[in-house]
Amino acid sequence: MTAIATVPPAAAALRSRPRPLATWATLAGRRVMLSAHTPREVLAPLVTPLLFALVIAPALARMIPAAGPGGADYSTFVIVGTVGLLIPLTCTFAGIGVIVDRAGGARRELLAAPIPRSLIVLGNMAVAVAVSVLQITALILAGWLRGSHFHATASGIGWFAATVLAFTVFMYAVAEILANRIPTQEEYVGLTPVVAILPWFLAGSLFPVTALPGWLAAVARALPTTHALALLRYGVIDHGGAGLHDIWGLDSTTACATLSLLVLAGWAVVVSAVSIRVFKRSAMN
Amino acid sequence: MSARLHPVSPDARPGQAAVEVHGLRKTYPGGVEAVRGIDFQVVPGEVFGLLGPNGAGKSTTIGMLTTTIKPTAGEARLAGFDVARNPIAARSVSSVVFQEPVLDKALTGRRNLELHARLWGIPPSAAAARIAELADAFGLSEVIGRPADSLSGGQRRRLEIARALVSQPRVLFLDEPTVGLDTRIRYELLDLISGLRGRTGMTTVLTTHYLDEAERLCDRIAVMHQGAIVALDRPAALLAGLGSELVELRVERDPAAALAAMRAHGLAAEDAFAVGSTLTVPVGRRPARDTIAALVGLGIQAEAVTTRKPTLDDVYLRLTGSRLAA
Repeated sequence: MTAIATVPPAAAALRSRPRPLATWATLAGRRVMLSAHTPREVLAPLVTPLLFALVIAPALARMIPAAGPGGADYSTFVIVGTVGLLIPLTCTFAGIGVIVDRAGGARRELLAAPIPRSLIVLGNMAVAVAVSVLQITALILAGWLRGSHFHATASGIGWFAATVLAFTVFMYAVAEILANRIPTQEEYVGLTPVVAILPWFLAGSLFPVTALPGWLAAVARALPTTHALALLRYGVIDHGGAGLHDIWGLDSTTACATLSLLVLAGWAVVVSAVSIRVFKRSAMN
Repeated sequence: MSARLHPVSPDARPGQAAVEVHGLRKTYPGGVEAVRGIDFQVVPGEVFGLLGPNGAGKSTTIGMLTTTIKPTAGEARLAGFDVARNPIAARSVSSVVFQEPVLDKALTGRRNLELHARLWGIPPSAAAARIAELADAFGLSEVIGRPADSLSGGQRRRLEIARALVSQPRVLFLDEPTVGLDTRIRYELLDLISGLRGRTGMTTVLTTHYLDEAERLCDRIAVMHQGAIVALDRPAALLAGLGSELVELRVERDPAAALAAMRAHGLAAEDAFAVGSTLTVPVGRRPARDTIAALVGLGIQAEAVTTRKPTLDDVYLRLTGSRLAA
């Protein structure tokens, strides 16, 4: 063990205020490194959607030989629908990291750092988006290998990508709020079925929302998940936008899609702002 | 363990206090007054101790200075930066070693230090050199590549202190840095912190309820009690108020009456105090043996009588009437 060599006098002056983008990247990098040490965070949310897409949906498709809404085969219809389950599960699991940071103490170091605290939320959110994209790619690829038929166009992929982004941001923000409000990991995990799974069943994942009782269909049309699923299908399997027409009842499919994306983006922006506020309030006594 | 660090405040304005606290107050929802309007200043390079038991307001004070607790009133500045109006700048000149471990346990020691450096805006090349120096100085070179959760308690604590120093803070907060550590590791850490003292130009604010820590490490000590500072001075000056020797006796039957009798006969002054069955009597210039001999004449039946030098615990007991640490 030796004495620390004298640091040149200029060293302290070299320190500069971290730039927001670099700080954001550092925080996201930290979350990636932590997630890499707990691969279950990435793999566990993928299990249920893969099971739905590769086992349950094809089995149901054999019982329901007719084409699904918009002309797609039922198996493909459900595979795209399971994206609406995959994203909430991924984001909910990502929220556990927030609780671990808080309970394990690591959040205190981040709070002591000379950075805008909103970037701590946004750094985690960026990783949730990246993980969701990877998982969706794996799901779609698995579906394609299983024989599903997708009709990908540039604009369709654009709608699909924008929806994935907005819906993931929205769901992560929900998870962030819950993780900051709920004291224990056990209580948080107990809420997962309510937050991630229940809306999915109502949102037209396995059947069109019009098949629901009238009052429940009205509830379903207000759910962000419903708008997300309709947009996802519009993007890659149903350019007629049957799900979007079920929501809005307008003639123009593009108008319906634009409105649904605006609804989704609005939810994403508002809930993200709330999540940052909740984080800051929970961090400050 | 030797640590020779370069002064880190070359651009600090001469004469500017490193920490300035004026009328700082924190009242939690429900009306709990954790800090009741405290004032103090810490000069650059000083090691300043906040001493008090749990609930005295030390951690709340540190929380306000490190911008994780919002003050109800008053103001505080770190190197001139107001913690409420300019919190990011205030955080940029400070680092904290928390009471509980706050490492990312899944990451290696090196990763933990690198993350701190990036968040504090240290260029990668400067950070790498700094990390190597700190790892060497703190005896972590062999283990810095291992995940933090595989390190021993003492290694993790040293790693946390090293991490706080990566950014070359002007103000280092050490919040109860040795709580929960076994005796050997605690003494190792005290050596390490002591090694930083006076060599870095860095200002250190230390909270503790261990008297020996405060006495050994601090230039000045603020004794906190129920959210207020009840004394602030150098350890030697605080101790000098109790003279060079005191008599301690245990009186099972009516200690208050025994103390009153000693005062009435001039054996004890106002600075004598009773806590439970134990009377502590500073003897001033009178030889302790004379006081002990006089007790017999008063008919005070003491279970045990000892003489000893005053400690900060006695200072604290005299100021607050409650014991500081077991």
